Amino acid sequence: MSVFVPITSFVRMRLTWIGSLLLRPPPTGLRCVLAAGKKDLIDLPVLVEDELEEQFVRGSGPGGQATNKTSNCVVLKHIPTGIVVKCHQTRSVDINRKRAREIMREKLDVAYKGELSEVVMKKKESVLRKQEKRRKANENLERKRLLKEALAADSKPGNDTGRKMC
Amino acid sequence: MWRRSLSTSYYRCFGCRSSGPKVLWKSQAVRTCSAPALPAGRITPLQAVKLWKRRFEERGVTEPEQSSQYIIAHLLGAKTIESLEQERLTEFLSREQTEQIWKLCTTRLSRMPVQYVIEEWDFRDLTLKMRPPVFIPRPETEELVELVLNDLQMKTEMGVPAETEPTCLEVGCGSGAISLSLLKSLPQLKGVTLDQSQDAVDLTRENALRLGLEDRLEIHHIDVMKDAETLLSLIRPVTTLVSNPPYLFSEDMASLEPEILSVCFCCVLLPRFEDPAALDGGEDGLKVIKQILTLAPQILSSYGRAYLEVDPRHPPLIRQWVEGNVDGLQFKEARHDITGRPRFCILQKEEVKQGPQAGSGLRN
Repeated sequence: MSVFVPITSFVRMRLTWIGSLLLRPPPTGLRCVLAAGKKDLIDLPVLVEDELEEQFVRGSGPGGQATNKTSNCVVLKHIPTGIVVKCHQTRSVDINRKRAREIMREKLDVAYKGELSEVVMKKKESVLRKQEKRRKANENLERKRLLKEALAADSKPGNDTGRKMC
Repeated sequence: MWRRSLSTSYYRCFGCRSSGPKVLWKSQAVRTCSAPALPAGRITPLQAVKLWKRRFEERGVTEPEQSSQYIIAHLLGAKTIESLEQERLTEFLSREQTEQIWKLCTTRLSRMPVQYVIEEWDFRDLTLKMRPPVFIPRPETEELVELVLNDLQMKTEMGVPAETEPTCLEVGCGSGAISLSLLKSLPQLKGVTLDQSQDAVDLTRENALRLGLEDRLEIHHIDVMKDAETLLSLIRPVTTLVSNPPYLFSEDMASLEPEILSVCFCCVLLPRFEDPAALDGGEDGLKVIKQILTLAPQILSSYGRAYLEVDPRHPPLIRQWVEGNVDGLQFKEARHDITGRPRFCILQKEEVKQGPQAGSGLRN
């Protein structure tokens, strides 16, 4: 029986340890606080609204009741870094604005923390998990193959019963 | 002879305006663009989007690409084209699907708003049924709801004693967007809403049922301009009054976009799809707003707030008017919408003063 070592958590622990040694203080204006609500992405940067510029395709008229446009693409720009996020995922401007901010937080996380960002870490974890799965699946196949060979070797050559058993 | 045809046309216009969209459509038969032929072979959704985008462009239909994308996504069971997998978009459509796309896109050629073509639209996290001539919710109004929610949230956080039964009154329900959105976000809230249009009342009821919110929303067919007494007799003072009342200036009604406004075959300018009564606020756009604010002190409980969506020119006019004409109501602030236009007014009912000091107090 092979001993399964939880590789995923081990690697992550090492990365976090190294990270805590190397992590520089974040740029001014960026606060890294625990964000309530999100189970996995708790260390994402909090957005400062004053650092954001929002753009909508709404035209030059009075807007409101005078217009009925369906385009609701939100373009969000983070001024300090120049990072731009475009969101056109839903039919609601309100939801698109919220989603754009979520995406912005993830992008800022990658930009500021690089390899150590939540997004990158999660990706790595997922890759490792897949590799582990593949390894196990191959192991199982190998075991089955060996068992089959063993059974085939047991049965005598030319024996009808033997062939039927396989 | 021209004069005579104009007067009969005007009469017919009145007739066709009140008969509903079906009759409007028939009366447009002469000017209708002929339905483009179905493709000979099979096509993919992406090809259909391209084809119809080009067709809409050729015919001068606004938002040609979005129109095409929303309609086709809807027929494929999705809200946006972006949410569909590439595989699906490059898979051939069935004959039936193609026919449906052609039917809906042809309707869009008549400039019918996309929301009416697909008979639904989203407002914040809700999907609502849409039906002419009921007013289609605008994106700015999503912010109005956000404003109300933030205020109510702040009240809770500040430790202001919660109402045993917080109630919200909305004037002008339309499709029910505002009330239903508030009810969905605040499970404790009870709502009362009204509209002068029976169509709006019916549609709101339908949307409330679809969303399972009908037990917390009272819907009344009342004209706030004509039946103020009826309204006041029906309700107890509420903590929140909200409205997106008709606020366009009458003179601006003539320059609305074709989706809202159109030249009827008789050459009379009329809002063709959306109910003009949901848009026209009179000469200064303030007709309905003033009525609502006049009634506000009787509708609101102490410190209760009124939230209005208005025309960008209105906030200073409203502030001035309220100060001179509405006792017990204070203009608190005006807020901008996401496009940077002054769009929302917040007013508060002053404390109900008791005893002889009441008259001598200075207004804050």
